[in-house]
Amino acid sequence: MTLEGTLLLALMLFCFGIYAVLARRNLIGILIGVELMLNAANINFLAFSHFIPTDPAVAKIIVLVVIGLAAAEAAIALAIILKLYRQRSSIDVDAMTLLEGTGAEEASDE
Amino acid sequence: MSYDFAIAAVVTLAGALLAISQANILHAVFGLAISLVGVAGIFFTLNSPFVAIMEVLIYVGGIAVTMIFAVMLSSVTNPQEKENVGRRLMAAVAAGTFFVGGALVLHHAEFADGKELLNSEHSLQAVGVNLLNRYNLAFETLSVVLLLAIVGAIVIVRKEPAMPADAEEEAA
Repeated sequence: MTLEGTLLLALMLFCFGIYAVLARRNLIGILIGVELMLNAANINFLAFSHFIPTDPAVAKIIVLVVIGLAAAEAAIALAIILKLYRQRSSIDVDAMTLLEGTGAEEASDE
Repeated sequence: MSYDFAIAAVVTLAGALLAISQANILHAVFGLAISLVGVAGIFFTLNSPFVAIMEVLIYVGGIAVTMIFAVMLSSVTNPQEKENVGRRLMAAVAAGTFFVGGALVLHHAEFADGKELLNSEHSLQAVGVNLLNRYNLAFETLSVVLLLAIVGAIVIVRKEPAMPADAEEEAA
């Protein structure tokens, strides 16, 4: 286990997250990608604090704060998903074109 | 050579692959849970057992279960997920480009010291003391954010705005 190996693992996890955010059409799939990216960042924080002489408490505090923020973010995102599903019967991001204006595509969509 | 980090890394990457490749979104959430357990194992090998336990408690026990609830309540079957080859190719190219760039940066970076530090036995106490003294602002802000998230989630998913008391009596 080296610093470079740990950072490379976090980089791969982050790229998986990017792929999920870009490729998924399901809102929950996008949320999964965001969580993967947050975890990659957390691994980086702890890896640097483990291998480079700093105050070890700081990285742990940062990671705990990030985990708490991720919990809040997931709660809000899932509430929005439920509301969207109730109103539109779909959580497909390609169907969320209400803010695009009065296009012909939306008229045929409804 | 210790194998615990390798095992945790394999679990993490396998779970993440499952999470991004499954067309069924419920299987993807299970993959995310597996990946998060692997991340907790990595935290453990990085000498942070408390953070690892918190990761399992909050992520696997909280966020993944909440996601499963959301999947079941929105009951999505997405048959179009597979046919969208162009978007998947574009996403793979973007993620691959980012990976190559990051790996190049990592390859050329010079880090101060590659030695593992094993001097943080009492760091949990330091975490608690620092969290309530020096980093108290982050702690308090996080508690306010969590409270707002709870109230906001309730407000968002509420079925309809509450009627005034007299209108409710009239309706009854």
